[in-house]
Amino acid sequence: MNREKIVSRTLVIFAILLIGMIAVPSATSLPNGVAGVKDSGCNCHGAVTSDSVIPTLEGLPEIYNYSEVYILNLGFTGGPSDPANINQGGFNLWVSDGTISPVDATVQSWNPNEVSHTDAGNDQTSWTMEWTAPANDRNVEFILHTNSVNGNAGSSEGGTSGDEWNRLSIQVSSPIVVLEQANPFTVLTTLIVVSFVLLLLVLTFIFYQNNPESFDWEHFAPWIAGWLTTTDHKRVGTLYFLAGFFFLGIGGIMAILIRIQLMVPGNDFLTQDQYNQFFTLHGTTMIFLAAMPLINGVANWMVPLQIGAPDLALPRLNAMSFWLQPVGAFLIFTGVFSGTGADTGWTGYAPYIVSETAHVGTTMWVAGQILLVASSTLTGINFLTTIAVMRAPGMGWMQMPLFTWSILVANLMLFLSIPAFGVGLIQVYLDRVIGTAFYDAASGGDPLLWSHLFWYFGHPEVYVVIVPAFGIISEVVATSARRSVFGYRSMVYAMAGIGIVSFIVYGHHMFTSGMDPTLRFVTMLTTMLVAVPTGIKIFNWLMTMNGGSLVYRTHTLWALGFLVTFTLGGISGMFFPSMAMDLHLHESYFVVAHFHYVLVGGTVFGLFCGVYYWFPKMTGKMLSEKLGVLHFLTAFITYNGLFWPMHRLGVVGMARRHHTYFISVDEVRGVNGEVITEAVVGALPPEVAGWNMFITISAILFFFSNFILIANVIISLIRGDKAPADPWGGWSFEWMTSSPPPTPSFGRFENGEWHDLPTLADANEHIAHEPSRFAIWFNKLMVADKEEVEN
Amino acid sequence: MAVTSPLFNVLWDEYIIWSLIVGTFTFGWLYHHSFAYRSTEGEELPNVDEIKVGVFPKHNDDLRLEVAWTVLPFLLIIYLTYISWAPLDHVWAAPGSDTRGDECLLGESSNNIFYADTGFVNSECYHVIEITGQQWFWSFDCNPDLDEEFTTRDYNLSADLCAVSSQMVEGYGMQPVINLKAGETYLLVMESEDVTHAPWFLELSTKEDVLQNQKTTMWLPMTETGESLILCTEYCGDAHSLMAAVVSVHN
Repeated sequence: MNREKIVSRTLVIFAILLIGMIAVPSATSLPNGVAGVKDSGCNCHGAVTSDSVIPTLEGLPEIYNYSEVYILNLGFTGGPSDPANINQGGFNLWVSDGTISPVDATVQSWNPNEVSHTDAGNDQTSWTMEWTAPANDRNVEFILHTNSVNGNAGSSEGGTSGDEWNRLSIQVSSPIVVLEQANPFTVLTTLIVVSFVLLLLVLTFIFYQNNPESFDWEHFAPWIAGWLTTTDHKRVGTLYFLAGFFFLGIGGIMAILIRIQLMVPGNDFLTQDQYNQFFTLHGTTMIFLAAMPLINGVANWMVPLQIGAPDLALPRLNAMSFWLQPVGAFLIFTGVFSGTGADTGWTGYAPYIVSETAHVGTTMWVAGQILLVASSTLTGINFLTTIAVMRAPGMGWMQMPLFTWSILVANLMLFLSIPAFGVGLIQVYLDRVIGTAFYDAASGGDPLLWSHLFWYFGHPEVYVVIVPAFGIISEVVATSARRSVFGYRSMVYAMAGIGIVSFIVYGHHMFTSGMDPTLRFVTMLTTMLVAVPTGIKIFNWLMTMNGGSLVYRTHTLWALGFLVTFTLGGISGMFFPSMAMDLHLHESYFVVAHFHYVLVGGTVFGLFCGVYYWFPKMTGKMLSEKLGVLHFLTAFITYNGLFWPMHRLGVVGMARRHHTYFISVDEVRGVNGEVITEAVVGALPPEVAGWNMFITISAILFFFSNFILIANVIISLIRGDKAPADPWGGWSFEWMTSSPPPTPSFGRFENGEWHDLPTLADANEHIAHEPSRFAIWFNKLMVADKEEVEN
Repeated sequence: MAVTSPLFNVLWDEYIIWSLIVGTFTFGWLYHHSFAYRSTEGEELPNVDEIKVGVFPKHNDDLRLEVAWTVLPFLLIIYLTYISWAPLDHVWAAPGSDTRGDECLLGESSNNIFYADTGFVNSECYHVIEITGQQWFWSFDCNPDLDEEFTTRDYNLSADLCAVSSQMVEGYGMQPVINLKAGETYLLVMESEDVTHAPWFLELSTKEDVLQNQKTTMWLPMTETGESLILCTEYCGDAHSLMAAVVSVHN
């Protein structure tokens, strides 16, 4: 069978599997279903409903009047309940809009939308309460669960046995008929599917543009198959870019939905449940499916080019690392498509992640994450090997470009830390699926173990995503200023120092978890100290411009913008190690502000900078400078409008991961001194509402400003100017090759050996080809080739 | 009550000053160099570092400067750690220490002393109370049943010192209220019935995790009267955002 046929059949099988995974519902691991009685019913008292129990709910109109108070009487008949028993029954009433309030001690309020019986109220079969209709138009739904108990509390089978329960749902209309409010999940899923279809259309269009004469299946199939099975580092890098930018957009959509929910106090655009899933997926998508792939994209493209290697050391492993990502993403998003996605936060704390109240989609989230751990571990091994053994002659360790150094440090950190996360994930998976007790305290497990495993990975992880950005900025600032980077050696030592110290500071995420006092102080000190190498780097970048001749291109602007936002993020980060302040700032919006300043203002801006810098090399086309400057100005300004006010919100008391917030209102009195609006105590200052609205508007503008980059890329691919080999005047090897580079990137393979690989010259006077002390030590670890052993 | 505690404010003010100094220095330098070293149209490229494709360029460094901006930030950080040390010790002072004293006997008062320059609050003794977190509400107990490790109290706290009530809070619904007395210090012993939670006493600028099967503790040194919201700040599932309570401090 020829190769094309095998590839075509493989594609068809792949497509069937993909469709199958979408069609088949997500795996269920816990029998009790999703959180909240409203969805799962009184299933502690029995697995299914019983027709012999008849719930009733009286007092509701067909169409409500705005803000009117209705007296509701609810109850049930049937089932084993008997007035002679100590307990007769219970209920849970949930309403989608308006508020329910108890009128006596037999009913209690869990939150404004949900009431149930109290201990004093469980020996009756009917209850009374009030419902205040909404002040606006809503399709209101009441969900009532009533439970008829047989009164055997304290028996040997357990008090919940022998009970029967049932469910009743009633709709009440608003005075003005309204459309069903859009389900945010439907909106998100639609946007994801639409974006994906658009991506496929764009790819098809690109193929057409390049091959207008041969736009047919016989030419298209091998083209697609070539991309799907490639092991060329340049193509894998492009695949990473596509996947990374796609998920950057998806994560951005989730962020916009979150911001719409937080636009005004007390908003109900997203329910609590939906909001919890959205912030979980936003974090997971942005870190694992956007930031890491984009970094891998740049690394795949540039590291072999910069070290003068024909490809990575393990090209097929590289392809596998890439393909693990979309498959992992698919598993993670299965929960989204089913509406019960992971709702644990991207940090997935135990014991919540193994509790019955976490969503079933969490299991799929864990499974997808395990695949991503595998992908990152393999990538780490690949890059370490490549950089260690495939550097061009003349390129000692201290002659590598700083971007390559940054990838080396990042990957070392990654593959030393991410397996700990993998271990924790496997333990969670086993806990959820087969009932082990790693994180179940009642059975002897320890939820804090998760915190340690996660943050032992989690903290180096955030340095993993920022260090490559450091590398990009080093390259760009130096090339733009037409100088070599100031303090090359200290830049290397600073990155290595950051890499090492990052492993001993993770306790700063656990300051409030009851740590030992000595460890608190040690972690405070080490966390503060990590600012020293970071500061060295910032000052070195600034000094690089000294005596230089700064040429302003878009990548220069992004690099300078990075210096502003990353410095601000670093300064705000210094407030946390001071633990007495951390007690206030922990889990507040101050944290959100800090990490978005370093992650978006650091990593994402660094990646944008890298895209503008290396796009001509990768594609052979120049990007439009006008659109680039427009992108920078709009994105930079709206980004700061989006994240800067969050510092203040955090200090005044807005907590993170809260689906809504409430502000205090001063008492308002009328002309005769009568109270019109009562003062509301205990909530946040009124300014919080205004700032949140401002932040949401900035967020929407920031989101759309980034489409300027997408437009720039597409337009330039179609009709950009041809790019020379070295448009910016850089020195490293990638600028020696054509734009785009050939395959293999350097040299040719003949008679079992590589020929014509480049050699690095050195403008500094030093004894050439003498290895440093580190290189001598490192070479002792290398395995000798056969010929050397024989000799 | 003010939005943040005095202890927080003292540290915050000092850190803000240093942030402004470092920020002004860094951004001033950036601003200056961005303009001073711009290339001009048609100039001859100096190429100080002999930048050429395929050639590692000349080193560009200055040992004195690099040592300077290693040592000076290091000293600043040592200083910031040092000024954070005492507040750290104060916030997590051990029961029986000079800061907190032993548990109050019947009729004793904490007699809190407030030091405005540091924001510290010292007490002669303290009262033990309990908060329990569970999905998704808080509950308080003024007279908890705890091990000797936490309390050896053999009397009930008077209603003046500690009382539990409930109150309708706008948006959150009926929430539990813990009524405490200004001038008294309380040791809050905490545990969770299910997953991890964390009560954040907003205006007191303090929080600590509550864990399953394990007790954690937190000091509540009361100085001012007023009401303050308590929010849950360790994600715990569905109604995490609505898991609130109120602390009401009276004279």
